[in-house]
Amino acid sequence: MIQEKTYRPVLYDCIKRSSTTISEDVLMAFDQAIARETSDRAREGLKHTYESIKMAKERQNPACPDTGWPLFYFKVGNECTLEGGLLSLEKAARDAVIQATKEGYLRSTMKHPLTGADPGNNIGENIPHFTYKFTEGDELEIMYAAKGGGSECFGGTRHHVVAFADGIQGIEKFIIEAYIDASRAGAICSPNILGIGIGGTADIAADLAKQAASLRSIGSHHPDPQFRKIEEDLYQAINALGVGCMGVGGDTSVFAVHVEYAYTHIAGICVAISSNCMVARRAASRILSDQSVVTIKNPQWFEGGR
Amino acid sequence: MATWHVQTPLDESTVRKMNIGDVVYISGLVFTCRSRLQRWIFDEKQIMPKQYQNFNVLIHAGPIIVEEENKYRLVSFMPTSSLRFEKWGADSIEQWNLRMIVGKTTMGDDTLRKMVEKGCVHVSPQSVSPNLWIDSIEIIGVELKEELGSIEAPWILKCTELGPFVVDMDSKGNNLFDTIDDTVELNRQNAFSMLGIDEEFKPTKLYGVKRKTE
Repeated sequence: MIQEKTYRPVLYDCIKRSSTTISEDVLMAFDQAIARETSDRAREGLKHTYESIKMAKERQNPACPDTGWPLFYFKVGNECTLEGGLLSLEKAARDAVIQATKEGYLRSTMKHPLTGADPGNNIGENIPHFTYKFTEGDELEIMYAAKGGGSECFGGTRHHVVAFADGIQGIEKFIIEAYIDASRAGAICSPNILGIGIGGTADIAADLAKQAASLRSIGSHHPDPQFRKIEEDLYQAINALGVGCMGVGGDTSVFAVHVEYAYTHIAGICVAISSNCMVARRAASRILSDQSVVTIKNPQWFEGGR
Repeated sequence: MATWHVQTPLDESTVRKMNIGDVVYISGLVFTCRSRLQRWIFDEKQIMPKQYQNFNVLIHAGPIIVEEENKYRLVSFMPTSSLRFEKWGADSIEQWNLRMIVGKTTMGDDTLRKMVEKGCVHVSPQSVSPNLWIDSIEIIGVELKEELGSIEAPWILKCTELGPFVVDMDSKGNNLFDTIDDTVELNRQNAFSMLGIDEEFKPTKLYGVKRKTE
C-alpha cells in the first residue's frame, strides 16, 4: 500500500517543480529554436525567456507568474492501493495547492467566475481539477500541469465541428485559422506546444487536446502513422506562418504539434485545439508500492496505453 | 528604431515622439492594474485612492508577492494580456492621465484613438522573462488589497531600467502587430498549399447556416 506520508510530499514537489523547473524536452526545444531563428527580435525574446527559465531553477521561483489552473493527472495502477483511498489523495492534493500558493510557487489565480472573489489559495468549486487514467501494475504516477491563462483564454484553446465530407483538409484548415486568430501579438505566448484532439464528443476532444499539449514530451510522435503525418505536416505549416516568439514575427511558432484521437459519430468530427505556452509548466513523479519515489524528467501520460 | 530610457512621470512631448518598434526601458514609479480594479472604479463607481494621481505609467500585471515578516517580497512579475481590458482602455487613459500602458497582446481601436487624442503609447514584452525583471523592481506599497485580493490590487512599484519593452501602439495611430498580420496573411496561403488545401476549398458549415435573404 502506498502510504499517505509518501504521496503527500510528492504532490507538493510536483507543483513546486512544475513552477520552478521546466522539463528537459522544453529546454532542448529552446536550444534548437534559438539556433535556427533568423529574426533578431524573436531570437532575443527566446534567449531572454530561456535565461529567465534557467534562473527560475537556480532561484527556485516561478518561471512565469501566471501559474493558471491547477490540474492534477493521476495514472493509477489497477493493483495500486492507497492509504485513505483516492479521496485522501485528493485532499492531500488540495493541501499541497494551498501550501504552494502560500509560499509563492503558485499565484492565487483561481477566483469566483462571476464576482472575481479571491479565496487566496486556489481552492474552489471544481478546482483543483483531477483526471484519472487506469493502467496495469501497482504504481501511482502523479502529474501536475499549471495551465497558464494566456494560452487558454485568447483562442489557443477552442473547438469546432468539421464535416466528415471535408476530411483532413477541413480539420487542418480549422487548425491553421484558429492558430492565426489566437497567436496574434503574443496572446498565447508562442512558440507553443499545440495539442489537438480529433473525434469523440466536444469534451473528449478538448480533454485529449489538453493532455496532448501538457502531458506529451516534445519530440514524441503518435504511434499511428496517419496521425503522426498530421502532426508533422501541421508542424511545418504553422512554422511557415511566421508568427514567431510572442507574435513578433519569426521562424518558430510551435515547438511541437501533438495529435490524439477518439472514435466518433461521423455526423460531425469534433476537432479541439489546446495550446501550451512556451514556458510549459508540468512535472511528474512515480511512486512504487515499496514507497520509493522516481522523479520523471518529461511527462509520460500516454506511455503504456492511450 | 530608437531606444528610450525614460523616467516617470512621462511627459506628453516625449511620448509623442515614440514610434512603433522603438525599445523602452522604464525607471521611476508605476502602478499595476487588472480587471477587478477597473471594474471597481469604472463599473462599480468606487473612488481611486488619491496617491495614484501621481503615476502615469500603468502595467497590466498580476505579480506574485509574498508577505514575510510584514515585508513584501516580489516573487515573480510578467506583464499580462491587455486585450481583455479594452472595455476600460479609453476611460483609463482619460481619467488616470496615462502616458504609457505596459502589457502583452496589444489593444483595440477605442484605446488607440484615445492614445492619439491624449498622447499615450502601449508597450509590450517580447519574452516571458520574469527573472530578468524582478531585480529591477522595488515594491513601494499597495491599496485596496483587502477589497480586490493580492494580484488584482494596484501595486505601486519603483522600477530601475525595467525592460526591454517594444512600442506596439504609438500616439500616431500605428500598431506594430498590424505589420505582422500582413506577413502572416501572406503566409496563410503558403501554409494551406503545404497541406494540400485548395484555395477554392470551402468548409461545409454544420451550424450557423442561415437562409439567404434577398
